Amino acid sequence: MPAELIKVTINGQEFETDKGARLIDVCREKGFAIPSFCYYADLALQASCRMCLVRIEKMPKLQTSCTITCTDGMIVTTESEEIEKAQRGMVEFLLANHPLDCPVCDRGGECELQEMVFDWGGLEERFTEKKNYAPEKFLSPIVANDPQRCILCKRCTRVCDEWMGEDAIEAGGRGSHTVIGTYGGWLNCSQCGNCIEVCPTGTLLDATYRHQTRPWELSRTISTCTFCSDGCQLSVGSRGGEVMRVVARDRYVNGLNGEFLCIKGRFAHPFVNHEERLRTPLIRYKKGGKLIPATWDEAIRYTAAKLRAVLDAHGGESVGVVGSPRLTNEANYALLKFAREVVGTNNYTATEAFSLVPFFENLGAPLATHKDIRHAKTILLIGGEPEELQPLTGRQIRQAVRNGGAKLVIINSVPIRLKHAASQFIQIRPGTEDAAVLALASKDDAGVAARKLNVEAGALEQVRQHLNDAQGDVIVMFGGELGAEAQSLLAQLSFTFGEKEGRRFLLHPLPLFNNSLGVHDLGLMGGALNPLEILDAAGAQLRAMYVAGSFLRTHLEGREDALSKLDFLVVQELFQTATTEHADVVFPAASFAEVDGTYTNNDGFVQRVRQSIPPIHQSKPDWMITAMLADALGTDFGFQMSSSAVFLELAKQIPAYEGLRYPLLKDESNPVQARHALVGQRDVSAQLVELRSLVEGIEETGETTTQTPPVGHELFKLGTLTSKVPQFHLLAAGNPEPESVLISPLYQITIDPALRDEAAVAGD
Amino acid sequence: MSQQFLPDNPLPQEVRVPDEMAVFSPEVEAEIDRHLAKYPLKRSAILPLMFIVQRERAGFLDPPGVAYLANRLGVRIMDIWEVATFYSMINTEPVGMYHLQICRTLSCKILGAGTITEHCTRRLGIKPGETTPDKIFSLSEVECLGSCGTAPMMQIGFDYYENLTTGKVDELIEKCRSGELSNGVR
Repeated sequence: MPAELIKVTINGQEFETDKGARLIDVCREKGFAIPSFCYYADLALQASCRMCLVRIEKMPKLQTSCTITCTDGMIVTTESEEIEKAQRGMVEFLLANHPLDCPVCDRGGECELQEMVFDWGGLEERFTEKKNYAPEKFLSPIVANDPQRCILCKRCTRVCDEWMGEDAIEAGGRGSHTVIGTYGGWLNCSQCGNCIEVCPTGTLLDATYRHQTRPWELSRTISTCTFCSDGCQLSVGSRGGEVMRVVARDRYVNGLNGEFLCIKGRFAHPFVNHEERLRTPLIRYKKGGKLIPATWDEAIRYTAAKLRAVLDAHGGESVGVVGSPRLTNEANYALLKFAREVVGTNNYTATEAFSLVPFFENLGAPLATHKDIRHAKTILLIGGEPEELQPLTGRQIRQAVRNGGAKLVIINSVPIRLKHAASQFIQIRPGTEDAAVLALASKDDAGVAARKLNVEAGALEQVRQHLNDAQGDVIVMFGGELGAEAQSLLAQLSFTFGEKEGRRFLLHPLPLFNNSLGVHDLGLMGGALNPLEILDAAGAQLRAMYVAGSFLRTHLEGREDALSKLDFLVVQELFQTATTEHADVVFPAASFAEVDGTYTNNDGFVQRVRQSIPPIHQSKPDWMITAMLADALGTDFGFQMSSSAVFLELAKQIPAYEGLRYPLLKDESNPVQARHALVGQRDVSAQLVELRSLVEGIEETGETTTQTPPVGHELFKLGTLTSKVPQFHLLAAGNPEPESVLISPLYQITIDPALRDEAAVAGD
Repeated sequence: MSQQFLPDNPLPQEVRVPDEMAVFSPEVEAEIDRHLAKYPLKRSAILPLMFIVQRERAGFLDPPGVAYLANRLGVRIMDIWEVATFYSMINTEPVGMYHLQICRTLSCKILGAGTITEHCTRRLGIKPGETTPDKIFSLSEVECLGSCGTAPMMQIGFDYYENLTTGKVDELIEKCRSGELSNGVR
């Protein structure tokens, strides 16, 4: 809908702009720099810094341009002696209590206040009064706070409230004694660190990076987060081959997430340079023996010989190839090619938590992007827990409800935190998510579904009515609880409700890993066996296995010794894991910070991963290891040691990625969506029958819980990667408050090593 | 990483006790209900309720009291914290039996509030913001209490004591010690 155009005169030049546009945005867009601290797009207005003052004709006094919406015929002056005097005065006020300790401040060199003082500050300070003094302290294991540097722009409090919905950090006190803080002095939040990111000064600091380096010493690389499936864009700051920090500050990176990152994206990077990283290839020459370091040449030669022996003795079908949704598309493509061309087997899969193959086979509506979610009018969330497992999606939902007035309907067996944003929350019996889909897909089955779900039939009818009456975008999200039939029906939901003017169905799966969609797109999940079956087949049908990454804890549960039954197991990993315990050869792989490649996020965006540091020790990118192995087995992949060549070939083979090249993926602010084939209307009556009988088989016993799960119950879980970060151990142990907040809790509290074993890999 | 962290010692047993909630007598509950009934929005009653809870909970908003307020008003703990730290008559820390609040704004300052504060500090042995070890006196400097015509002045509990001199302050402190100043309690 094109907005009405109005005329605004800025500094004597006339411009056309949308009606209702914010003056500060218009001025900046037209090239007039307006300084500001507190203004932040898409957050509630504050107008506390008074830096964005402008003179508007016929209005008394100077006006804050961040709170003014443009009206027709408005005549604005942004630069004059009067305005400059006011702005200089404001900076002088801001500095009245600011300690000016830039040389020891972590923000020095990338500080907005510093830049503002450079432009608008005076040469000398006129204040002789004592400044307020408060010592630097810790608010949590990862958030450090220096209260006296604060200029009270309250970006942090608004971000905490509006993005995260947590309201963990607020301004307390009064007048010049106002400080940013929290009740009790210790933060019990999801520790996302977004308050640190948006802080324009050095008030809130990253405690993991504090006093480690200066920002100008870092080389920055734009890359994609390696944790959940949201695929946030981030800037990896490295120095001398060490990853020092990860930020999403918009002066360095401008991706789909803006300045948003969660605790994992922002703070879980130390695994890259962790001392437990595998250093060299390892060979176990004898079953039950030790893994012994070897050279690459020796390891590749040994592996090739062993695999050749298995292939000659038992044939191609006796070798399993397992990719990973953690690895790049390039790595998984190389594995798939290895399975098909070198080994000649259909026994390939990826260590994915749940399969979305039925969903993509019946995809009847496009995938929703995060921008779509933000502007959606109706959101239906079945299962899943986005604010813990896909935090960016969680934020987008919250913003859509709060700022966009979206209707949020949640169907979940647990009262998740997003419940507070929902206009309708339906709590169902655990494990009956399929029944909810049945009730949506077929009106006649609503009665039986309601009985199985333990909800009133009216509630489900209301959801149907919601979707029926909806205008604008309807986003259907689902987590991993749904079975194959339910996924197919949900993928076809747009046809169940039929065409309607002004309504558009969009789908948004919520897989757990950074490249979950990638492994589905490549077809790695379409192999003959799923991860559980491939483990069961080990030792029987399968004699050898080639695993990139590791099996999930959930896969290995009850199948602990499955891998030991194999004649030969090759693993490429970052760390020693439960999977490498039985490996005959372990190759050290390079982490996301050391490779070039692409991840596909849950929007279907194919986004670049860029190398920021050289591979640690002797590690190599996964696809390169696979290509070397293929070479040793007599097949030249023709990758020419270049990941762009791998992607080029991948894009030619995979229809959804057709025409994509690295140069086209260069701009992180314009991500490219893979073209997933829409299948149109399919006959899903078979699946409906199947689902009906499935639902009828559900026992009506499950207990529902009324307890909202605590913040971080998934985010803080210790996995292979997050357990390498000391701070996560404290958070996983319940974030205990230390005796003194002046010293890092790492030095005050030590953690029971048993807690490390309670780790779960989901989402990590 | 330069920070080395070795997980070996176990955690202290009590990690974090969930905030217990204060319980009040039926009379107090009735008083709270009366206040709540005055406002169309429940949260508007935050200040009167804070005074009641503070009165009932040993003179300051302790965690159970804050939990009660948040629950009763349907607001978040942080909302209570913001308001409580804003007002000088709401205490977030324990205070003594007599809370001496000396005005330090312009009129009082000109007419010698500084001397009064200094005198109190010498007599009681505490600086502004502190409480005597016997928990009888607390001293604080507050902003204008609107009694400029009778400056310098201070407030003890809810009562004003005006046109102060060091002699008057001595008298007041003696009265507090002997318990004569009963209506000044908090």
